[in-house]
Formats: sequence, C-alpha cells, structure tokens
Amino acid sequence: MNQPAIRTEGVTKIFGGLTAVDNVDLFVPERSISSIIGPNGAGKTTLFNCVSGFYVPEEGEIHFFGERIQGLPTHKICSMGIARTYQNIRLFKEMTAIENVLVGHHPRMNATWFESILRNKRYLQEEQSAVDRAMELLDYVGLSELADTPAYNLPYGAQRRLEIARALASDPSLLLLDEPTAGMNPQETAEMTNLIRDLRDTKKYINLINRA
Amino acid sequence: MIKSLKDGLRIGLITGFIFIFLVLIGFPSVASNIIGDVLGNMESLDENLRMSAENLIIFIGIIGFIAGLSVFKKDEDISWLGSVLGGLAAGLSSGLLSGLVIYLIGTLDLSGVDFRTYLPNLGSEQIRYLLFYSTPLAASQTYLLYFTTLSLIGALVRKAVSELSIYKNKVGTAASQFSGKLGSSKFRGFLDNKFVLAALVVLVGVGLYFLPYAWGSYWNYIMGTVAIYILLGLGLNIIVGYSGQLVLGYVAFFATGAYTFALLTAPQPHAIGLNLWLAVLISIVVSVLTGLLLGLPILRLRGDYLAIVTLGFGEIVRILIRSDLLTPLTNGPKGITDVGQPIWRGQVFSDINYMHLLMLLVLAGLFVAKRLKDSRTGRAWIAIREDQTVAQATGVDTYKYKILALLLGAAFAGLSGALFASRNQFTGPEDFTLMVSVNVLCIVIVGGMGSLPGVILGAFVLKGVPELLRELADYRLLVFGALLVVMMIVRPEGLWPARRRKFKEQDIGSANLQQKTPEVEV
Repeated sequence: MNQPAIRTEGVTKIFGGLTAVDNVDLFVPERSISSIIGPNGAGKTTLFNCVSGFYVPEEGEIHFFGERIQGLPTHKICSMGIARTYQNIRLFKEMTAIENVLVGHHPRMNATWFESILRNKRYLQEEQSAVDRAMELLDYVGLSELADTPAYNLPYGAQRRLEIARALASDPSLLLLDEPTAGMNPQETAEMTNLIRDLRDTKKYINLINRA
Repeated sequence: MIKSLKDGLRIGLITGFIFIFLVLIGFPSVASNIIGDVLGNMESLDENLRMSAENLIIFIGIIGFIAGLSVFKKDEDISWLGSVLGGLAAGLSSGLLSGLVIYLIGTLDLSGVDFRTYLPNLGSEQIRYLLFYSTPLAASQTYLLYFTTLSLIGALVRKAVSELSIYKNKVGTAASQFSGKLGSSKFRGFLDNKFVLAALVVLVGVGLYFLPYAWGSYWNYIMGTVAIYILLGLGLNIIVGYSGQLVLGYVAFFATGAYTFALLTAPQPHAIGLNLWLAVLISIVVSVLTGLLLGLPILRLRGDYLAIVTLGFGEIVRILIRSDLLTPLTNGPKGITDVGQPIWRGQVFSDINYMHLLMLLVLAGLFVAKRLKDSRTGRAWIAIREDQTVAQATGVDTYKYKILALLLGAAFAGLSGALFASRNQFTGPEDFTLMVSVNVLCIVIVGGMGSLPGVILGAFVLKGVPELLRELADYRLLVFGALLVVMMIVRPEGLWPARRRKFKEQDIGSANLQQKTPEVEV
C-alpha cells in the first residue's frame, strides 16, 4: 500500500577476500517486527552496519522510505530516523542514564554553544522539554528511578533497556535492535519481547531485529 | 589482633621511609617554616632563629597522626584494642626507624662527616636543627616519643569517628534520619535563599577584591601565574576533558595569542600601537583561526595520532617564531620587549590591577565552561569522549563538535597568551616550550578530567606548590615529581573528579521538603 521502510537491492559487503554480505535483497514493511536470523558469522551484524551507515556496501542500494542512504555519514542517517542498539552494549559509561537519553535526543535539538552560554529563553525551553522527554522515555523502559545513576553502574538488563531509550530519544521511525536479548535470562527475555511488541503497537515503530 | 599489628607495622614502615627521604632532602625545616608562617610564631627573619623546635615537633606530629589515621581503612571494623595495637605498631616502627636514622646522622655529623658531599641540603646546621640542638640519643628518643603518641592518637581518632558513624547508622531510625535529612535540606534551603546567596557572593567578592592588596607583589606575581594557568587549564579542559581529544600542542595557541598581542602593541618591531582591548580581541581571534587551521585537517585523526601531530604543531610554532625567516616579523630569538600595558585611571596597570583583571576573567571563564558543560553541546562533547563512533551514530556531528571544542579551547589560550605577554611586558620564543603544554595537560589530569574545580585545584598544586617548595632548591622537582606520583596512586581519577549533573534529586528534594514541612510543626 505504501513505501517500505527499508528496501535493499543486491547489497554486497566485502572485507578483503571475504564476502560478508552477498547480494541481499531486503524488504521491511512499516509497523512490523522483522528479524534477520542466521548462524554465527552469517553477516547479520554486517548488514545492520550497512543499514545504519557504519559500512558502505561495495554494491547495491539501500533505500529508507524511498531515499538512498548508503554513503551518508552515520549522524545524518540517525537524524533521518534510523536509530540502533548494539550487540555488545555501548553506552556512554561515565554519563548518567538520563544524560545518555539526552544525547540520543541531540539530533532533535537546535541549541548552539553560544545559546547555551547565554541561556536565552528558547534554550531553556528546549532544554526543559528535552529533559521531560528523556524522563518520559526512562519511565517507559522502567528506569526512571535510576535516572541519575552513571551508566556503568546499571545492571545488565537495565543497560540494554537504556540503549533502547537512547535510541528512541531521536524519534526514529526505524529501530534497529542488534541481538536485544543476548545474555538475558528467560524472565528478562520475556520483558524485552513485551517491550518490543509494545513499541510496534503503541509507538508505531518499525523494528528490525537481529537474532542468532 | 595479628592483623592490626601487621597493618600498623606496614604503615609504620612506609611512613618511616617517607620521613627518612624527607629528612635526607632537608624537607623538615621547609615544612616547619611553612607551619611557622601559618601559626605566625616566627619572630625574626633570621634563618637560624626561624627554625624553632616546636614547629618541627608539630611537623613530626602531623606525620605520625596521619600514619595512625591510615592504619585502618574507612569501613574496617576494628576493636578498640585492635586500633590501639595498630596505632602503637605504626608509631613505634616509624619512630624507631626515623629515630635510628636521626641518631646515625647526628653521630656521624659529630664525628666530622660532611653530608653535603652527597646530600647538598643536609648541612651541619640542618642536622643540629633536626636534633633539636641536643644530643643524637635524646633527639631520637624525642622522635620515637612523638611518632608513637601521635600515631596512637590518630588510630584512636579513626576508631572514634567510625564508632560515631556506626552509632548514627544504628540509631538511624526513621526519626533521626528524618531530622538528619531535614538538617541538610534546611541548609540547602538556606543556600537557596536568594538574599543569603547574594550576601555570600558579595562576601567572597569583597574578599577576592582585597586579597591582592594583602599579598604583596611576589605573591601577586605567583597567583597571577596560577590564574593564567587556570585560564589555560579551562581551555584545555574543554578540548581534553570534555571532548576527549588529546591535544599536546596547546602551547601553540598560547604563543599565537601572546605574539599577536605583543606585535600589535609593542613599539618594536612594528609600532602599530593598537588599542589594547582591541588587541586582546584580535589575539583571541587569531588564536581561534590558528585552531581552525590546525583542526580542519587533523581532527579526523584519533587518539595517539592526534597527540603526535599536535605535539609537532606546538613545536613548529615555537621554531617558526624564532626562525631567521620570520625574524623581521617576530624579532626572532630576541623576543619582543615593552609589550603594551593597560591603563587604569591614568596609570599603568599595577600588579594589583592585573590580579583583579585575572580574577574577573577566571570567574568569567568558569562561568562559560560551566554553562557549556551542562548543555547540549557539553553532552555531545562528553559523548564523543566516551565513544566517538556511537556518538556519531546517535546523531552527533562529531567532526563539527571536535573542531568547536578546539576553537573554544584556543580562544581561552589566546586570551591568556595576551594577558601573559602584557603582564610580563615581554614575550619570547622560549616562553612557549613543550613544557607549557605538558604543564597545562597535567593541570587537567591531576585536577580531574572535565572537572572545573579540578582545574583550579590542579593549577594551584602544579604552579603554586613548586613556589612553596622553592627552599628545597635542587630537590624541588624531585619532591614535586614524587608528589605527583603519590597523588596519581592515591587519587587516580584526579584531585576533584568531575561530578555528573543531577536531574532528579533536585525535584525530589524540593518535593520532600514541601511534603515534610507540615510534619515538623506537628
């Protein structure tokens, strides 16, 4: 009925002599939960990295709502609406939980460095709404009590959820979750599954999940 | 019991060796002079009279006390007997060790051995002072006595303090916790009061205003240098502390600022004679442009590579300044004399005026750095420092923000360079060696990466303490190096580590206050 969120055509990524991703055609519809599955070393994460802009594929094209995105720097891709999490959690460790989410909100803010010295009205308003939004997201993933805790002090499951909150803070239309339940016990996995379903149903995100 | 004894013995031996080291470099007399200055009990400036024995005893006492305190860790649960044993063990071992060495040195000195052949600071006069002008045996007994007593007191104080906090925790029922909380929130509320805050600010301001009058020109000079280094530290803190880019050639921007200012205001070699305040502005702008010149090509590099390239850049600027090629422009190795000085009420700036100006600028710099830190920009920088790849994938234009950090840092350096040249009335290429970059970097690291109070503390420690240690002459740098090593072992995260801004607690705190106020009245 409408455009697919992600469409790839013949994406190929080669590392030296190794073809990690070979001629992949991918089609991710809107408001869906899609999953890439495969054994270790199949190139799932490489494909992820191609979509989020870490790698530029040698061949093929990647379209995001009809726009070509390969070759763009990662921050551009992020501000277009693709946010991701990482297989091995990569939070800003020294920053608190809420600051991590605020960094996620960065592409949706406009304050310049000069405004932040002046603290004019526009800056203060934007900052306040960003903090409110961040608290909201932390509440959503169940971390509002730990907002001022440095990320390195959070328990494992909380770190994974914080990564999702950080990704959501950029108001993405596509969420790339790289092995979101890796290393989790059955209960945590169930919670994560519910969270992902809820993301699709109530927040209308499209999820692409990488799962071994 | 055995453990307390062991701990005590360990600390005692460490203390003893440190004390012997200090004795060998002649530190005790410096320390007792400082104590004398603090207590104000020195009547005469005569060097021999200055060394009053009581100050030496106070110094020994302080060391013994610290040894006693450090026998047990903060949260260690030790019985009273254990702490007595530990304190005694520490005091006896350190006292015996130092007493023995003092006895040996004293006896050898009496028999005519000249220590100065090997240890320049350990002359006969010094040794007799260390012996309290009595016999070696009596002196070593005094050492033993004071080390043991004070170490015992130290250990007991530690025990008493921990007892108190345990008591607090035990009795910490709702009521006492509540009153404790109320106390702290009351204090906070007190500080939140606008009038109280204003009064405090005025008080500190007045204090700062009159301080330079009290100092005298020597201390104004030292403190001025400290202030210039605080400014430099604030700038480099933006680059290294916030955005995490290891730039080793920071001195280049300092030099650019100083030379721009000097060339624009000095009669030689160009006689432009520009308005001074305009010249300061231009110096900042030129430094920023230098930053841009350097930043655009190299900020794509990371980590070690960036460090090496910037290291080279710093040296290139210094060598260019003194090169034959640029001598017509920069006066080469001779440097520039008669750099312009600001005029205030018809008179050239005195050292007091400079101090006031520097204080104002440091406050302004702190203000700017603080506001930057707690903003979108600051968060982007810290994210880059933590994980550049992820920061970019989270939507931060890392290249842009890294250059911004470099430019703002360069602006700070340009400003302090202009002040530096103006205050010294001279600037030459040898003012801008690699050591300046290293010193500023040390300020940032010793103070605590990304921490503003850390920069201030670091500047005082790194530029102020060496002045206090000046009497040690040859050993100054040795002691200073040892201090740095000890500091990095004891506090690897810096003297005053950066604190993260709290978003929640403030709200919760004020909410609690509002809820609980009625309960108090009941």
